[in-house]
Amino acid sequence: MLEALFRLLFEYRPVVFKQGEFRFAPTSGSYVALGLAVVAVAIVILSYRRALARAAAPAGPQGGQPGRTLILLALRLGLIAVVALCLFRPVLVIKAAVAQQNFLALLIDDSRSMRIADGPAGSRGDFARQQFTDPSQGVLKSLSDRFVVRTFRFSTSAARLATPEELSFAGGQTKLGAALEGARQELAGLPLAGVVLVSDGADTTDAALRDALLSMKAAALPVFTVGVGQDRLARDIQVDRITTPRRALKGTSLLIDAVVRQTGYAGETVTLDVEDGGRIVGSQSMKLPPDGEPASVRVRVMAADAGTRVLRFKIAPREGEAIAQNNAREAMVEILDRRERILHYEGDPRFEMKFLRQAVKEDKNLEVVTLQRTAENKFLRVGIDDPEHLLGGFPRTREELFGYRGLVLSNVEASAFSGDQLRMIAEFVEKRGGGLLMLGGPRAFAEGGYAGTAVADALPVVLDRAVHTADGDNLATRLSIRPTRAGESHAVTQIAGSEAASAARWPDLPPLTSVNRIRAIKPGATVLLNGIDDRRREQVVLASQRYGRGKSIAQAVQDSWLWQMHATISLEDQTHENYWRQLLRWLVDDVPGAVDVHAITDRVEPGETVTLVAYVVDPAFVELNDARLTAYVTAPSGAVQELPVQWSGKRDGEYHATFTAPAEGIYSARVEATRGGKTIGSSVTQVRAVPSDAEYFDATMQAPRLQRIADETGGRFYTNADLAGLPEDLQYTGRGVTTIEERELWHMPIVLVLILALLSAEWALRRKAGLA
Amino acid sequence: MKKLILCVVVVLAGAAAGYAQDRLLGRRTPQNYDSINIGYDGRLAFVRLRFASGFGGFGRRGSGREPPWAHDYPTADIHMMKIVNELTTAGPHVDGSNIYSLDDPDLMNHPIAYMSEPGFWSMSDDEARGLRTYLLKGGFIVFDDFRGQDWFNLEEQMKRALPESRFVELDAGHPIFNSFFEIKNLGFLQSYNASQSATGHPTYWGIFEDNDPKKRLIAIANRDNDLGEYWEYSETGTEPVDFTNEAYKFGVNYFIYGLTR
Repeated sequence: MLEALFRLLFEYRPVVFKQGEFRFAPTSGSYVALGLAVVAVAIVILSYRRALARAAAPAGPQGGQPGRTLILLALRLGLIAVVALCLFRPVLVIKAAVAQQNFLALLIDDSRSMRIADGPAGSRGDFARQQFTDPSQGVLKSLSDRFVVRTFRFSTSAARLATPEELSFAGGQTKLGAALEGARQELAGLPLAGVVLVSDGADTTDAALRDALLSMKAAALPVFTVGVGQDRLARDIQVDRITTPRRALKGTSLLIDAVVRQTGYAGETVTLDVEDGGRIVGSQSMKLPPDGEPASVRVRVMAADAGTRVLRFKIAPREGEAIAQNNAREAMVEILDRRERILHYEGDPRFEMKFLRQAVKEDKNLEVVTLQRTAENKFLRVGIDDPEHLLGGFPRTREELFGYRGLVLSNVEASAFSGDQLRMIAEFVEKRGGGLLMLGGPRAFAEGGYAGTAVADALPVVLDRAVHTADGDNLATRLSIRPTRAGESHAVTQIAGSEAASAARWPDLPPLTSVNRIRAIKPGATVLLNGIDDRRREQVVLASQRYGRGKSIAQAVQDSWLWQMHATISLEDQTHENYWRQLLRWLVDDVPGAVDVHAITDRVEPGETVTLVAYVVDPAFVELNDARLTAYVTAPSGAVQELPVQWSGKRDGEYHATFTAPAEGIYSARVEATRGGKTIGSSVTQVRAVPSDAEYFDATMQAPRLQRIADETGGRFYTNADLAGLPEDLQYTGRGVTTIEERELWHMPIVLVLILALLSAEWALRRKAGLA
Repeated sequence: MKKLILCVVVVLAGAAAGYAQDRLLGRRTPQNYDSINIGYDGRLAFVRLRFASGFGGFGRRGSGREPPWAHDYPTADIHMMKIVNELTTAGPHVDGSNIYSLDDPDLMNHPIAYMSEPGFWSMSDDEARGLRTYLLKGGFIVFDDFRGQDWFNLEEQMKRALPESRFVELDAGHPIFNSFFEIKNLGFLQSYNASQSATGHPTYWGIFEDNDPKKRLIAIANRDNDLGEYWEYSETGTEPVDFTNEAYKFGVNYFIYGLTR
């Protein structure tokens, strides 16, 4: 609309003004006219001087109006100036492409999202075909009249399009940057007027466009983008994002967050189902948010079966949905069936130790080794598999301590450790990446003398140095335990079948006692459980934080076993068991081993290259750069490929290997590390090679991205509405073989409009003053 | 061992037991238990189980006013906790103890309980349910001070609470005899004449969770033995020190086991 008005008034398209150079091209007659104009101006000024003098007089029939006279003077002079300007022949000098002397790169998106039927006539692909594949019609006809058009189709990369039939709109990815770069390189050396990019703009790659755009800018090659499709779908539900852990222990109840976005179904209730091999393993209903707003939903999934599980999160398509494919997303989780070793150091014989062990005794994936101090320098060892194990008490070397994945310090005072042991405990979290849990009691936290120690640095709570160390006189406070807002949705605090049932269950639990008055947490820590005493004062009961590579958890109560024994708890109640299983599983969740391998991305397109990244440390968790690593990649067919894994040279202990995943399916990569002939360890990771359905996500036409490409390269962004102007605009890019053209400006309609406006204004003013 | 002997001497000289005995019992049966119970505050406390006597146990011994469950109360209880306090890091209450019936909700706050003279024990249905819940949730009970035919009443009462349970004789290899002290000879300590014993010497019997000897011991019975007697009279010098030491070793091991397994 605005552009049509511009063209009506200024005769030419904006690009002509943008690209052209303004000049005057006067003839000899122009100077004669200039002389006449000067005379005319002088006459005008003289005639108005008398009027001005009269107007300046304080009284008289026409006195007191100098302002109006000045305006009349200005209008008359302006009119003369406009006419004089036109007589000097203003022109735009512009470089116009010579017809059929220049090449034009035409890039057409060939990805699956072009199949979405929200184009002006059918699908986006249909629109692209109509306008850009037949030289006898559509925009391509106009382009072909002016340029030698080289057409490319692109998804992951650009390839020349020989026939329109080659457009299949089946590409699994859209890589705009790669496509632009590919076309530029292929046509390098040719007089290229510009690039036309026909796409919905949905770039599914994470790689930034910036690099590709930089090279286009360096080559001064403008990209004219044509957006196909709608920038808002009328009715659609999309599972936006799924956050799953990479690995989980078998038997863990996973709480997985999904983000759902929709248009056209606000307020409706839908169900998010989780499928594992076609079997529904989790389900959660949700009310859809307002249009365009993301809503988070948490669904509980039991990691029941070991192995690599591909979980499918799905909302059943609704009536009238534009895209059904974006209602489901898949995520791969490796369910580990192994025993995670936890060292539990209990400072005093007390029931907390007994019931903790009882709570997890049936959990085959947790191995709790308890070092129970029963008297000074006297220990009871429970759960050991070697008579020599922990014979000397708490580990004195990093190698021994770091063999565990979790460490529970239960009511054991800081002075029970040497300075090096305290540092070891902190390093257990920070460097080894283990989980540290400190349990409350008169010998724990500040009361246990930990303030100012290395362990205090690792803990998520602030220890008060003023608190005296344990002397046995600490009075216990009864606390009613409640989850915080963050705690309500945390996996550890789920003590009933659903989040709501869990939140309702907490107030029913019997109060516990605490002798550790913790009021403050570290920045970055999260409080999951609070305790409220009889005077309604609140204190921290369960808090956690990341510390270095690991995590630390503080639980400031001393008798959680009351959740098992208390008279109000039934014999069948599993609250205590569930709580401790969840807490200890969380403690060792994702704790790294001596060898840890993962793929940069857990899904690739069939035929793509997979990069494996492995980290290797020695038993003291010092990074090793001289280890010998071999990867054994098992293809879906069962064939095993042996690969060397090389030190990256960028980071200590980091090794890389790559392989190609030609066939569709799951590839399992096991990396084994040795050093000096001794085995360090091994680790396994999986990668899925499957065609991506990412094209159907965020599949609306991405106008801002296309606009950015055009703006940064000096091109222009078009939609169906203004596509007709594309061929003419391309003609004035100034690139390729051009000819200089002069465009006269004096006969622009705006000049006539200006003259008429000045005349009308003068006439109207005179009428008002009674002068005409 | 030296430390244990020293502790026994300390206890012998201690005034606390006498104080408790005079103040709380004076060889009389307490009537208002709430007023003398120390309750639960997060610390370990001795719990003695009281019961109605099925055989007219009141007046059977002593002054004639003492029920069988209260034998050696409170001196034995306090002495035992003092020994636990001196030898271990458990930090129990040494200034009082608790008396609960088996259907008392407060019993659940104390997962170790002691019963004296189970030969005279009888239970209401509520108490039987209470005991079953207590043991299956994680409680541990010690039966002491009985001999001869008393055993059959103990078995019968336990069958009421846990019909599926059965007592199994324990040998010195069981972890309860190694939880703190290594007790290698279970026959050393004797409280009764051989003629008073069913087998001629003391034996130790246990009930296991799910009747599986690999699992947790939920009850132990000092058959034909009376540890409480040694605990009580350790201050008087009327019992041999070796026997008293041995009785405390059993007691400490029972508490450490009950706290940790």
